[in-house]
Amino acid sequence: MKFANGTMRAVLPWAFTVLWIAAIIFALLLFVGAPFGEAISGFLQGAFGGRRHAYLMATLSRTALITGMAISVMLSFRAGLFNIGGEGQLVAGGLVAALVATLLPGPPLVVLVVAILAAMLAGALWALIAGVLQLYMGVPLLVGSLLLNYPIRYIASYAVAHPFRDVPSGMVQSHLVPQETWLAYFPGTRLDIGILFTLAATAFALVYSYWTVHGYHTRLNGLSADFARTVGLPVRKLTLQTLAISGAIAGLVGAIAVFGIHHRYIDGMLVQPLYAWTGIIAVLLVGMVPWAVPLSGFFFAAVQTGAAGMERAAGVPKEIALVIQAVIILFVASRVSGALSSKERGGGNA
Amino acid sequence: MRIALSGVTVRFGPVTAVNQVSLGIEPGEIHALVGENGAGKSTLMNMLFGLVTPAEGTIAIDGVERRWASPQDAIRAGLGMVHQHFMLQDSMSVLENIVLCAEPVGRFGFVDFAGARARLDAIAESHGVSIDLDRQLGRLSVGERQAVEILKVLYREADLLILDEPTAVLTPQEKDRLFDTLRSFRAAGKAIVLITHKLDEVVEIADRVSVMRAGRLVASSPLAETSKEEIARGIVGGALPAPRIRKAQEPGDVVLAVDALTVPRRGQDVGPISFDLRAGEIVGIAGVSGNGQAELVRALTGLERLRSGAISLCGQRIEKRDVGARRRLGLSYIPEDRQRMGLALGASVTENANAGRDDRKSFTIGPFLRHSAMARFARALIDNYRIRVAGPRAAAATMSGGNKQKLVVGRELGRSTPLVIAENPTWGVDIGAIDFIHGELMRMRDAGHAILLISTELDEVIALSDRILVMYDGRVSGEVAGGEASRERVGALMTSRAADALGKVA
Amino acid sequence: MLELLLDPSFAASIPRFVTPILLAALGGVLCERAGVFNIALEGFLLTGAFAAVLGAYFSGSPYLGAGVAMAAGMTMGLIFAEFNLRRGGDAIVVSIAINLLAAGLTTFLLRAVFNVTGAFSDPAIAGFGSIRIPLIEDIPVLGPVLSGQSILFYLALACVPLLHVFLARHRLGLRIRAAGENADALRAGGVSPRRVQLLALVACGALCGLGGAQLSIANVNLFVENMSAGRGWIAVVAVLLTRGRPWPLFFIALLFGAVDSLSFRVQGLGLAQQFTDMMPYLATLVVLVVLSWWRARRARGGAS
Repeated sequence: MKFANGTMRAVLPWAFTVLWIAAIIFALLLFVGAPFGEAISGFLQGAFGGRRHAYLMATLSRTALITGMAISVMLSFRAGLFNIGGEGQLVAGGLVAALVATLLPGPPLVVLVVAILAAMLAGALWALIAGVLQLYMGVPLLVGSLLLNYPIRYIASYAVAHPFRDVPSGMVQSHLVPQETWLAYFPGTRLDIGILFTLAATAFALVYSYWTVHGYHTRLNGLSADFARTVGLPVRKLTLQTLAISGAIAGLVGAIAVFGIHHRYIDGMLVQPLYAWTGIIAVLLVGMVPWAVPLSGFFFAAVQTGAAGMERAAGVPKEIALVIQAVIILFVASRVSGALSSKERGGGNA
Repeated sequence: MRIALSGVTVRFGPVTAVNQVSLGIEPGEIHALVGENGAGKSTLMNMLFGLVTPAEGTIAIDGVERRWASPQDAIRAGLGMVHQHFMLQDSMSVLENIVLCAEPVGRFGFVDFAGARARLDAIAESHGVSIDLDRQLGRLSVGERQAVEILKVLYREADLLILDEPTAVLTPQEKDRLFDTLRSFRAAGKAIVLITHKLDEVVEIADRVSVMRAGRLVASSPLAETSKEEIARGIVGGALPAPRIRKAQEPGDVVLAVDALTVPRRGQDVGPISFDLRAGEIVGIAGVSGNGQAELVRALTGLERLRSGAISLCGQRIEKRDVGARRRLGLSYIPEDRQRMGLALGASVTENANAGRDDRKSFTIGPFLRHSAMARFARALIDNYRIRVAGPRAAAATMSGGNKQKLVVGRELGRSTPLVIAENPTWGVDIGAIDFIHGELMRMRDAGHAILLISTELDEVIALSDRILVMYDGRVSGEVAGGEASRERVGALMTSRAADALGKVA
Repeated sequence: MLELLLDPSFAASIPRFVTPILLAALGGVLCERAGVFNIALEGFLLTGAFAAVLGAYFSGSPYLGAGVAMAAGMTMGLIFAEFNLRRGGDAIVVSIAINLLAAGLTTFLLRAVFNVTGAFSDPAIAGFGSIRIPLIEDIPVLGPVLSGQSILFYLALACVPLLHVFLARHRLGLRIRAAGENADALRAGGVSPRRVQLLALVACGALCGLGGAQLSIANVNLFVENMSAGRGWIAVVAVLLTRGRPWPLFFIALLFGAVDSLSFRVQGLGLAQQFTDMMPYLATLVVLVVLSWWRARRARGGAS
């Protein structure tokens, strides 16, 4: 009886949370006068269905990018670093990957590997700028990393609009990367193997977070920077190293988007879908627990592709996806605050 | 104003902080409320002031039963409280601080500062508490801040004044001034409650003494009908603990040598400070909080850069090395603030127990952690130090203050380094833990470690130290051998410069 | 270039760019001083921009449009308060969520209400005209800057000294400052810091709503997706840089607004649009770096 009571107390708030979110979604559907049945079946179809599961593949493809970005920011967040400049690091990686692959001659595999490494380096360097600004100039990482999103966005835009533009295409985009460097599809599907890179990044993050000395140290730094300093951890070095790892993963995601999906850099292709922001909320949803991040990434990818399905089936503007995501995070934020907040508060009673 | 508490009980979750306390407070009387840390004194007064809601019991003022929804009600009823941690705004002026939350407002809700100023001038005249109203609070000394707090209470026309450990941060001169003020209040017929754990003060000023222990009121009587010894017995419960027996031993080699150390501080630098610390001795650093001890410790541990001077640890210069390097060379540090610096509260006991010591090969394989070895170590620490916690995987935040401190002490002493720096190691922990931690420090000393004990608790320093350095105004104002130390002698050094003070005590 | 800077029409265009940043930043000041880490100004601003168009389109009055924008901003403030103050969500997380919510809701409603994507413009959107001030408009150089602007600009200007006096002398202003500095003191004085913070958030929402209205129904008469385009973030930086003091904030906002305006003006000079677009952010970043660095150096030097 007591046990049942305890479970009730644990489950009830979550049940209310789910009810609230559902109520808001239904209110929005009601507002646009969409038929509920069609909307829901359209959502499910759009996220998981399609001919030969084409939509599910699209969801998985999106999952790869969102999860990759989520892993990237998770490593920063766990270390107590409010790096919300994932978007800039992603763009830096994507742009560099496309440019290297279109300009570098050589065997395709070599080009691919070099381009991916260059993309990771670019992402890491872009993240390091924010770190250096914080450590040596006193610019808070939160605003520093965020503001750095804008210059790289326009630099990339300029690069593919002027010097490296594929002019005949008529679009603001780079030339196609050599076809031999395109990531292969899984047999019988239109899903590229980019998701394997994301899985590898996730596996790395898992091992790193739980089983390495470095991961342990960064976590202590994330939970309490004062504590980390007091017990003699090299806080500055940890900060820069962590940011570099985060940035490298974001750069990798940019490369995946180039070689797996778009096969070139198209202006806005990494910014407009809000991959970086979705990655951040995917991490926040699961409170920075590494193994749960891919699930959360898949969930948000499904919300987005599902919303597109809902638009096709019931005429609901697909922008509803953003609203749903935001509402979920609002309600969940207060339940799983995780390490992000414990840093400031740190207190509790003696 | 006559106040009667009857049968008051306050609970925080499963913990009963105040248990069935009944107490009377009379006008024109200074009522001392004494007891150990955690005995429930502050909680009882917070309850009276409306900050904490009692689970049971009643408050009656002049025979009328009252209930507070918030401190605002208590303030309106004429209660005033000076909290142990000042409730002030550093960036505001004295005047703004005083009127805050009791602002006289004119049109559109704008504050009538001129009116407030006039009233305060009158108050200053009648009670002899005066302070420049336009100064910024952040620039005031601790004693002046306390005067602001008292003015706040007077401004609200309180008839009952509660002061929570008001002398903890004061120099003896400031304390005398405060007591004069309190006497003038008594003469004006106000009721005063003085929360303290210093018996000398009780004897000096109180008319009535109430003793609390473990949440209960164990005695309440006029000062004339009791004695210092009786009060002390009431505080600790039964007989006083026997003084610690120290093994006579000759100190060994110099472990820590500090030479003309100066540390930057806002206003005036700390130092120059020079001293040696040898193996097998405890050197205590006594002094009123804020006289440069914190800066000294931060410079020694490497948390802050020094301005000039030299520090040698085990014969090696360390002043340019970072915290990690110093620790590897042979330094352990029990910080004053276990919540922020001693522990990562969100991490598990195991993670906390191994922090700062996992440079050892036994806890790692290459870049990877050996979780089993880490957990084993945490388990051993929990057993050896009798830490009460659910297990090695529990979050550090789930432990009580005393157990948290034991974990910090265990982790640091367990490193068995030549030098241990202990900064207020028993601050805010229960008597059992204090005794245990003192025992551990003595054991380390006997085993030949050098221990630097920085404490604002004079009794602690006197009980443990082989030698005592006293800090005042950023410098060492004198040194006293442990055997010859008395409260009076050390106390004199805490308040004045070395030259004239040494003359007095010599 | 110099010619361009001296061009009176350049000077006259500055207030249009300053107003949204300044209004949002003034709102941010209230939160900053009250101890609410509100970095959702971007979302507040965007919400205001959309709501203003909504109100102005259906009512035919820019004043009602601005009123709707204020109400929408205040609602966002209430949502922030609900999830941050009452439910205890982390301010940064709540801010990120609210920024996304604003981006989502405005694009969603753009399609749901007006059935367009990307942008909505319609002659029925009643915009603010410019107010000409006789005599002042005849002052050389300053005249066209001070005269001929939207009412929101004058409102923003008036808000700077008002906010200064409010924080310094008003009961609520005093309490807002206390909530941000030592909230325990408020609690001990019987005032709920949370209520003070709630009021700050709602007032911040109202100011941001007006800032958004300037973007959509004073500068132009249309709404474009993501119209705030980072101006809310620039306002956040302005607040952080000045630590929430109204007068320094005014000058920082003036600077950022001028760069914003300049970036528009130099587009015709053969510079690629990407670089002119980048200017406001780069300028913000540069000012941020320089001021932070200078402050850090002074703090270290101050120890001596």
